[in-house]
Amino acid sequence: MNVRIALYGALREADPRGYLEVDVPPDSTIATLRELLTEHLRDHAPAINAGLVRVSAFASADEILHNHRKVPENLELAVLPPVSGG
Amino acid sequence: MDDLHVAVVERQLAALNVAEALDFVSDPRFGGIAVFVGKVREFNLGRQVTGISYDLFEPLALRTFRAIGERAQHELGAPLKLYIAHAKGHLSLGDVAVVVAAGTPHRAEAFQACRLAIEAVKHEAPIWKQEHYIDGDSAWSEGCSLCQPESDATAHDATGEDGNAVHGHHH
Repeated sequence: MNVRIALYGALREADPRGYLEVDVPPDSTIATLRELLTEHLRDHAPAINAGLVRVSAFASADEILHNHRKVPENLELAVLPPVSGG
Repeated sequence: MDDLHVAVVERQLAALNVAEALDFVSDPRFGGIAVFVGKVREFNLGRQVTGISYDLFEPLALRTFRAIGERAQHELGAPLKLYIAHAKGHLSLGDVAVVVAAGTPHRAEAFQACRLAIEAVKHEAPIWKQEHYIDGDSAWSEGCSLCQPESDATAHDATGEDGNAVHGHHH
């Protein structure tokens, strides 16, 4: 399953398009997606600190998706580095 | 919650409007209004700042603002009108980055609601700032992890106050 992940904050610099696409096995969890994204960045965007994904959240437009959640099908996700608003 | 106004405002289109916030939270029931205004300031960690670019995941940011408003309403247990607006895009020195206003019957609840809301916006909303420095360098601010509440990330920024360490690190 191909998952499109929108990039924000410091992770935007991983791809000028503002998103990445990662292949994940069916019924994968967010924890698996996190590992696959880390590997993807290591291979394709080595300038990005790989540890940033460890402290980033995954989300839909509606909610944060924690590690135990299944990766939803046919839904663009976002990866959210630590926040710094205000 | 009809007494809640939330907004994300693209800086290229408009500046945040403090007067609008005051108008929104004004009400014959309310004798107290508290307002927090966060602005881009000149120095951060000894570096001269010329501007800040704000990146937001807008749909979730607006949902988060609404959730913060509902939480404030629940915790306060008193009538409340709350206004939360955050800027997006490139801001210059002195530009307003965030406005939070709370109207309540008495001052104690107004301060409480305003403080709760601005702290929650800073720690929970999907917003990121990139500081631009006079030497041409830029850097994304460190911040609060949304997936690891016990994150040991430290954060410093060039807006608002370098406030109290309400959850273990300074902003």
